[in-house]
Order: sequence, then C-alpha cells, then structure tokens
Amino acid sequence: MKKSLLLATLLSSLLVGCSSTEIQESMGLNAPFPELTSQTAELSPAAMDELASNPLLTERSIYFGFNKFDIKSEYTDMLAAHAEFISKHNVAVAIHGNADFRGSHEYNLSLGQKRSVSVSDALSGLGIGNNNVETVSYGEEYANQECTGSACDQDRRADIVYVGE
Amino acid sequence: MIFNMKIMQNYIYRFIFLVTLIILSFPSNSIEVIEILGGKASQIPIAITPFNEDLKNDDLGKMHKVIANDLERSGLFSALDTSGISNIPDSDMYINFSNWSALQAQFLIVGKSTTIRDRLTTRWSLIDIYKEKTVLSMEFSGSKKQYRAIAHKISDLVYEKLTGSPGVFHTRIIFVKKKSDKNYGLYVSDYDGFNQRAVVNSSQPIISPRWSPDGKKIAYVSFEKKKPVIYVQDLTTGKRVLVANFKGNNSAPAWSPDSKKLAIVLTYSANSQIYIINSDGSGIKQLMRTRSINTEPAWSPDGKEIFFSSDRGGNPQIYKVNVDGVSEVNRVTFEGKGNLSPSLSPDGKLLLFLTQENGKFRVAVQNLTSNQVLKLTKGPHDESPIFSPNGHMILFTYKDYGKKTKIGTVSVNGLKVTPIRVGSETIQESSWGPITN
Repeated sequence: MKKSLLLATLLSSLLVGCSSTEIQESMGLNAPFPELTSQTAELSPAAMDELASNPLLTERSIYFGFNKFDIKSEYTDMLAAHAEFISKHNVAVAIHGNADFRGSHEYNLSLGQKRSVSVSDALSGLGIGNNNVETVSYGEEYANQECTGSACDQDRRADIVYVGE
Repeated sequence: MIFNMKIMQNYIYRFIFLVTLIILSFPSNSIEVIEILGGKASQIPIAITPFNEDLKNDDLGKMHKVIANDLERSGLFSALDTSGISNIPDSDMYINFSNWSALQAQFLIVGKSTTIRDRLTTRWSLIDIYKEKTVLSMEFSGSKKQYRAIAHKISDLVYEKLTGSPGVFHTRIIFVKKKSDKNYGLYVSDYDGFNQRAVVNSSQPIISPRWSPDGKKIAYVSFEKKKPVIYVQDLTTGKRVLVANFKGNNSAPAWSPDSKKLAIVLTYSANSQIYIINSDGSGIKQLMRTRSINTEPAWSPDGKEIFFSSDRGGNPQIYKVNVDGVSEVNRVTFEGKGNLSPSLSPDGKLLLFLTQENGKFRVAVQNLTSNQVLKLTKGPHDESPIFSPNGHMILFTYKDYGKKTKIGTVSVNGLKVTPIRVGSETIQESSWGPITN
C-alpha cells in the first residue's frame, strides 16, 4: 500500500473516529487450471492379433508375496513368451509395478518400481535389451483403497503393458 | 493476504493511543506472559463470546465459533462454554471481571460486527481477566466474503499475542480428492477446509502436492502421461511446467527452503534414487546412488541436509545425508518395524514421520536432539503428515479399516485431533502452504 493512500485511510478513519485494517482477497487463486487428457499410439495389426490369440501373451500379471520382489517359477513360460514377442516385433513394453494401499503413496511407488525392475531383470535375462523395456510404477494409485486382509493380495503385482496396444 | 499488516498494525496502535487514549500495555511484537494456574495446565482457558452481529450467514459459521475452532485446534487453548452467560458484552468497556473469573476464564474475546451494504466491519478486543485489562483492541473490515478471513485474522493475532508464535489460521492447504476412479482433483482451501477451489482436474491420479516455501507455486506428481511425472504450477497464472519427465518414474518433489530447487526421485530403469533439479527443470544432479530404494526426500530448514526413507537396512527407515557433495549417510530412526515419510519442523528440531508397528501406520515426531519419539495419532492408516508453518500443528490423512481416507490436524502436543471437513470424497494426499502476508 502506498504511503499517501495509507495516510488518507488514516485521515478518513480519524473523521469517523476509528481505524480499520482492510482484509482483502488472498492470493491470485482465480487463475484458470489445466484440464488433462491422456495420449495413445498404435501397435501393428499383426502384433495385435498375436497378443490376442496366444494364451501365454494374454497373461499379463505377475503376483508377488507380501513385501516380496522375487518372481515365482510359475511365471517362467509366460515371461519367455513375452520375451519372444518383444524381439519378434521389436516393440516397446512397459512393466507397471503395483503395491497395496498400506503405507505412504510415495514409498509404495518405490515398492511397485522394485517389482517392475524384478520383471525387467527377468526379461533382460531372456535377451531383451533395456531400450525395449520401460519400468514404471503405479504404486498404490490403482489399488483397492478399501481392501482388508487377503483382498489386498491382488494389488501386489507387476503388469506387462505394450506401448500402443 | 493483508497488505503491510505489520506497518498497518503499528499505525493502528499509534492511532488508537493518540486518538482514543486506549493505552495498549504491549507493543505488537511482545509476548503476553501467561501464568498458568493449576488444573489443565497446558491449555489456556479462553472465553469467546458471541459477537454482536447484524449479518445472518449460517453457511459461514458464527465469528466467535470460527475463532474458538481455530484456537482449540492448536491444542494450546480450551474455549469455555459461554452459552449460559447473559448480558454478553460486545466491547471491552463494561467487563464484569469477577463473573468471567468465576468461569475460570483467563482471557476473554468480545466483538461487534456491522455490515453496511457489502462491507463488514468487526471491532474486537482481547481482555486479560486476571490482570483486568485490555490486551488487544482492533478493528478489521472487508467485503462480506472476507467474513471467515477476518475471524481467522483475529485468531492469528490472539494466538501470536498469547503464545509468542505466529498464528497459521489464515494459511491454506492443498489436497487431492479422488471423486471417482477417473476423476481426481487437486484442491486449495483455507486451512480449515473452507473456500475450496480446484487447481488441477485429471482423469488420472495426482499425488505428492507440495507448496513452495514462497507460496507462489505448487509441485505435484501426475499420472496423466500413464506414468508419474512432476509438474510445477504457478498458482497466480495457472501456467505449469513439466519439470521432470525422465524415463521411468518421476516423483516425490520436495522444495528447497529458498524455493529455487526441488529434490525429486527418478528411477530410469532401476530402483528409486534421489536427484536435485532446478525448479524450472534444468540442472539435474544425482544426490547419491545405491541399489536399494531411496525416496521421500525432505530438506532440513537450513537447506544443508536431505532426510529420506530407504530400505537399505531391510525395512524402510529414515536416513539423512548432506546436500553438497558425497557424504556419510546417517540413520535417524530406529524404533518400530518401519519408519517413512519424513519431514522437518520449521525450526529443524523435530522429525515428523509415519511409524509402522503391528500393521498400523501412525504419525510420530522425534526430537532430533534427545531422539525421544512421541506417537501423536492412533492409526491404523495415517499418512501424509506435514507441519503447519509455525510447527504447532500437523496436517495428515487418516482412515479406518475398509473406509475412505479423510483429512485432519493433530496438535504437536498430541492433545487435539480435529477433522477438516472438505466433503465426502476420498482425500489422498495433502500439504500445508506457507504463512503469507
């Protein structure tokens, strides 16, 4: 506030016999805000067909034990089929790690990532280069936020997602 | 919030002194010495009488109730029930001190609000019952929309006068609302949940909102690109900058005390690691590298250290490291099955975090000198703890088994847990904005 205006305010206050502090609208919170949308690209029709027809490729989820990151042997064939598909079509794949809702959002993001890295390491062992694989974590963000007990088991998993499918 | 409040206050004090000859015994920056007399020794008993108001607005709550809720939320005051009192004074002119003393009130707030068209003017006084004198006597005015802002400002001044610390009742919070699986909103509101306004809407999750210490910007993590990326958004213009969209995850933004940098967490193709980046997205630098998880960075108020959570010892625990150069990493927490989500009190003396024990997550503080730990909440699923800018309260989210997440405050002395009502939707993450003038 300019001094002259302040003085004027004080003078006018004098006339009415009382000083007053003006409480004003705080901060510029009337700014427009962005509405967000997602983006997509496309896989080739041949690759799409194979993804839909091969039963090993329709399996996309690897489940983990409580606070665990190691991949159980039951997923060996499934991961081998995905590795073959990735090199055959030279496609990019994202491994989405997930965690159940318990604990902080950020720490769960790191836990999901650790599971994602586990799957990526397994694919790497099957000859898939790092350029084809992105490890991403969704943490607890798509998990059941209201589960209790074993209902939360399904959220401790990594999903194989092809870019552009 | 208010232009040149300090200067204005000084003018007001001089003005009142000269013109109306009400002598204020205390200059604006002095602290009222409180003599605690027995009983509930840790809380100041204060009577806040209904103001003499000509404005009927039930939506906004009565002014004396806004003030009482503010002061009680801090855990340092107990507001006395004045409903049985007849002949409520609306100024400090005719106070029957023995009556208020009999009610065990140590302080009394009285006031009168008048409206002329859109303008609201509130004249109020804080009175010391034991010393039988007026401590503060002021007048605030503004548009009718500023009704609650005026009440919060009164609370702030009373709080500062009686505790010696600035009040935070005019500050704002930011939180994420999950309205449905495909509808998330980042909201700014008054600290008590009133005056909500969306600043981001998205079909994908938003986490980790953090208000810059200078109050101008917010950083947050959005999943709109089908993976977590970090945006910094200007609250005045609404413009935003994608500051981190590196391969893998981009998350956990933490503002440096000077608002110029962010500590962030990136993964590339491996586990979460901490980096420092300028708030415009330039000058990325890795803080340290290990094979284990390092995440949830938090700056010490002097900007010299970063506290973080890590599973390098098995379960998550909190560690600290110097910001400049490679230095020794020191473990800070030792109790419980796990400790995570660290942040520091404004004076740097207390570590605030979540402690995990028997499957429950609770809010706890650790004195960094004595290493004594105080658990402030009971769980089972408390999260997202952050100090108020004066360090006297903590904002956090909580939920019971199988229920939706809600938001509330707990006083740092652990005496007062108060919900913040922002609607029936799930609240996922929250943060507290700085003190603004």
